[in-house]
Amino acid sequence: MRAIKKMDISSLLELLSRQGTVYVPVREEDGLVSFSPWSPGAEIAWDAGNSLVPPKQLLFPQTETIYRYRVDGLNVSLDELALDDIAPPQVLVGIRPCDVKSLEVLDAVFLTAGYVDTFYQARRNRTLVVAQACTKTQPTCFCDSMGVSPVEALGADIVLYDLGEEMGVVVQTEKGAQALAGAERLGQEKEVPLPKAPECRLSANVDGLAERLKGHFYDPVWDELYRKCLGCGICTYLCPTCHCFDIDRENRGQNGWEYRAWDSCMYSQYTLMAGGHNPRPTKKERVRNRFLHKLQYIPERYGILGCVGCGRCLAKCPVNMDITRIITRLQEVAAGE
Amino acid sequence: MAPEKDAQNPLVPTVGRIIKIIDETPDVKTFHVTTDHGKPFTPMPGQLAMLSLPAVGEGMFSVTWQGPEHLEFAIKKVGVLTEALHEAEEGQMVGVRGPYGNGFPIEMMKGKDLLFIGGGIGLAPVRSLINYCAEHRDEFGHMWIIYGARSPADLCFKEELFKNWPQIPNSRVDITVDKGDENWTGNEGFVPAFLEQLNPPPEGKVTITCGPPIMIKFVLQSLEKMNYKPEQIVTTLEMRMKCGIGKCGRCNLGSKYVCLDGPVFTLAELNQLPGEY
Ligand SMILES: Cc1cc2nc3c(=O)[nH]c(=O)nc-3n(C[C@H](O)[C@H](O)[C@H](O)COP(=O)(O)OP(=O)(O)OC[C@H]3O[C@@H](n4cnc5c(N)ncnc54)[C@H](O)[C@@H]3O)c2cc1C
Ligand code: SF4
Ligand code: SF4
Ligand code: FES
Repeated sequence: MRAIKKMDISSLLELLSRQGTVYVPVREEDGLVSFSPWSPGAEIAWDAGNSLVPPKQLLFPQTETIYRYRVDGLNVSLDELALDDIAPPQVLVGIRPCDVKSLEVLDAVFLTAGYVDTFYQARRNRTLVVAQACTKTQPTCFCDSMGVSPVEALGADIVLYDLGEEMGVVVQTEKGAQALAGAERLGQEKEVPLPKAPECRLSANVDGLAERLKGHFYDPVWDELYRKCLGCGICTYLCPTCHCFDIDRENRGQNGWEYRAWDSCMYSQYTLMAGGHNPRPTKKERVRNRFLHKLQYIPERYGILGCVGCGRCLAKCPVNMDITRIITRLQEVAAGE
Repeated sequence: MAPEKDAQNPLVPTVGRIIKIIDETPDVKTFHVTTDHGKPFTPMPGQLAMLSLPAVGEGMFSVTWQGPEHLEFAIKKVGVLTEALHEAEEGQMVGVRGPYGNGFPIEMMKGKDLLFIGGGIGLAPVRSLINYCAEHRDEFGHMWIIYGARSPADLCFKEELFKNWPQIPNSRVDITVDKGDENWTGNEGFVPAFLEQLNPPPEGKVTITCGPPIMIKFVLQSLEKMNYKPEQIVTTLEMRMKCGIGKCGRCNLGSKYVCLDGPVFTLAELNQLPGEY
């Protein structure tokens, strides 16, 4: 791999910024870490683990306009958005292996199974993913239980390794190689063994779980699991694989725009129909849907787990709903214990 | 990076126009929609479309029938969008996108006798199938239509019910209303009871049932009593929808999305899925 002195990292980012806006993890004043545009001299939170708000917001923004319209009496005109305008090229630097894995889930949802979401596709195509391997874990991490290695980021174009004084740079794709053309003058080639994967303190056994959950939709276990949930939706907003959205509109006189915005299956409005009928009327059905969606429905539909073990939902849930403990409980139930 | 050619976003509708509005009942109107380039698309019976009134809203509706140049939607007034559509006049521009959903299993129905059971606005999707079968008459067996509404005024598609459909060769139409009026000479009573009274035998049949959830529930019970098998019973589901293309996550039944994998299911298929509808 190429080893670059940490003090020269800004030259690397400078180089990457030729590809598009560079986003890096930044610690905000309130201590929260999120991805923000980089500029020379900016303080990068290399040691922060995964950001509180997942990088999905840069591929699937919290709100985005779908089209604009103008209403004039009986007439209506629509304005489509140019993909070049909504999806300027960007480079995501420092995204962690769990979040790289989450892009596979979002790709499955937005790019396969019948329809292609062109907005997501345009952003995805114009995004260079520069991951950072994890050399230590956070107390809430359990990615290795979910089939993700903390030191590998298979879907990334480039992976960075913290080597102490230096940062190791490994190119994984053609796109990554092109972006680094000219990097030869930075650092030097070195034979460095990949850092050892750090251990996750939490774990969960998902072996065969999707298949085993099949007969347990009506299991009494759900009467117990949902009880403490407040229905706040934090878990779904912070989850890197949650993709549900609402569609609504804003009017300004005769003009307006149709937009979509992140939504949450934890809200009662989500499935409420005209006339008041609601197929998921209580928190029980909604909590069950969230966990089964991650653990059974996404695997059935797309052949991939819906949870990447990033730990955000359990770190931030006000009542400590812990998906690892729920998985353990569900395995017990499935085993008939 | 090379700019790619902008593909149309599937969430952006085509602009069309309402060219005709027909009053069906006090709270149902049928809208004929076309575009400058003719029919927006050619759906199969039972397929859906998202219809929108820009600045007001968008909703999923069955394409109840179509002509060579237009699509038809029968829409019941229930909320913000549907009320605004009921206020609209001919010439109003609308957005339309689709076709969505699986539609009725035509292949499985071929050669079979068909029993259509509809209630209220639930006749809208079934109508597309009845008219299709009438147009392809020799591909299907006997057609028996049982339909009910709250009152005589609430019967949708009266011209077809009383004139066109009874003239389909090898067919029969039976109509009931919950409560008649002074001019009503037909049957009075709910659809499930009427169905049991008519007692169409299950042999060689496929039955297609669509209506308000409560009617479906009791019709299914009656069909079971009459020895219809889950594989013979076809129904359509309604869930709240936003995208129509399996992305927004809203309409799932287990790992299926009603907007893509439905809205048409056999009872045998539904029995395999979580009963969250
Ligand atoms: C597969 C399918 C086929 C349908 N076919 C027909 C039809 O042929 N004729 C007809 O009159 N109606 C049909 N509906 C119901 C129709 O979509 C709703 O009545 C309509 O969306 C209500 O919108 P609103 O703004 O008037 O109501 P509001 O209650 O004001 O709507 C509020 C929000 O809820 C959503 N919503 C409310 N009820 C429903 C519902 N039942 N289904 C989906 N979204 C809903 C609306 O899109 C809107 O976003 C169908 C629904 C589905 C899912
Ligand atoms: S964060 Fe916790 S309390 Fe809030 S909806 Fe999720 S599980 Fe429920
Ligand atoms: S369910 Fe929780 S741990 Fe799993 S990917 Fe989502 S936020 Fe991370
Ligand atoms: S309506 Fe969005 S997934 Fe079905």
